[in-house]
Amino acid sequence: MKKSKKIGLICSAGGHYTEMLQLWEAFEGYPKFLLTYREVTTKDQKGAYYVENIFRGPLAFIKGVVKTFMILLRERPDILFSTGSEIAAPAFYFGKLLFGTKLIYLECSAQVYRPSLTGRCVYPITDLFLVQWEPLLKKYGPKAKYVGGLI
Amino acid sequence: MIFITVGNHYQGFDRLIKKADEIASHTSYDILIQKGYSSYQPQSARYFDFVPIQEAMQYIQASELVISHAGIGTIILCKEYGIPLLIFPRRKKYGEHGTDHQMEIAKAIEERKDDHIYIVYEEDQLGNKIAEVLTRRQRPAPGANVGRANLIRTIQGFIEWVNNKRP
Repeated sequence: MKKSKKIGLICSAGGHYTEMLQLWEAFEGYPKFLLTYREVTTKDQKGAYYVENIFRGPLAFIKGVVKTFMILLRERPDILFSTGSEIAAPAFYFGKLLFGTKLIYLECSAQVYRPSLTGRCVYPITDLFLVQWEPLLKKYGPKAKYVGGLI
Repeated sequence: MIFITVGNHYQGFDRLIKKADEIASHTSYDILIQKGYSSYQPQSARYFDFVPIQEAMQYIQASELVISHAGIGTIILCKEYGIPLLIFPRRKKYGEHGTDHQMEIAKAIEERKDDHIYIVYEEDQLGNKIAEVLTRRQRPAPGANVGRANLIRTIQGFIEWVNNKRP
């Protein structure tokens, strides 16, 4: 039997984190790890790596990006999945450019009419790009897909 | 219990916290507030800043009404547990968020006419709306989330495709 691919799950805290937990079922049975922000709300998740919010300052940004790189080097995921937001951007670019990782991005359901900054940033390299509101499809392009939303 | 929650956003949402505290001061409602980064300290209502999400889930499930900013996490959880939700969106002009996307979410949900989600845009309407929702006592059944099922199926399909494609 073939070895299952490893999946890296990446999300910020708050609604992005809740969205990730809602979709956890999709990754049952696969080797996986989670990368999220260290916050009270995300505490004590099994198999999780934590970084400081990379928008907290230049030092936090550098530390977060370096740690993200080290985690990818150690884990070598075959697939990365993110519900946003900016925490996904460094991981997606490292993954795609260095290891040819397959990328799945789910635009947050907070984006009804306007693309998010992270969405626009990762759209060009993402393999499966999902939005949660139909009006967003034409804002992105032919690669974007709508199959439904969580809210 | 009425649970008020303003999420994880780095800006405060004092308008909602103040109003909820004021309502707590002259009614018998049992009000619990998650105030996040808001600076106003409630005088009458019980409150905290943040808790692990599993604990917040318990508060939501134990509530007869949740009042929140237009945050995705709370909207998802109220839908899942079948808890009536009153949304009061954050506004850019009051320094409550970087953009007015919470207004867009609120309006998009309003157009959909969900039977358990109520929207209020002005804080002086909050009191009346709370009374109205609580008298109605309409408790929606926790429904199957079709969007969620479709997303899971789509993501699983992609993972299987990657799994089969490469050695």
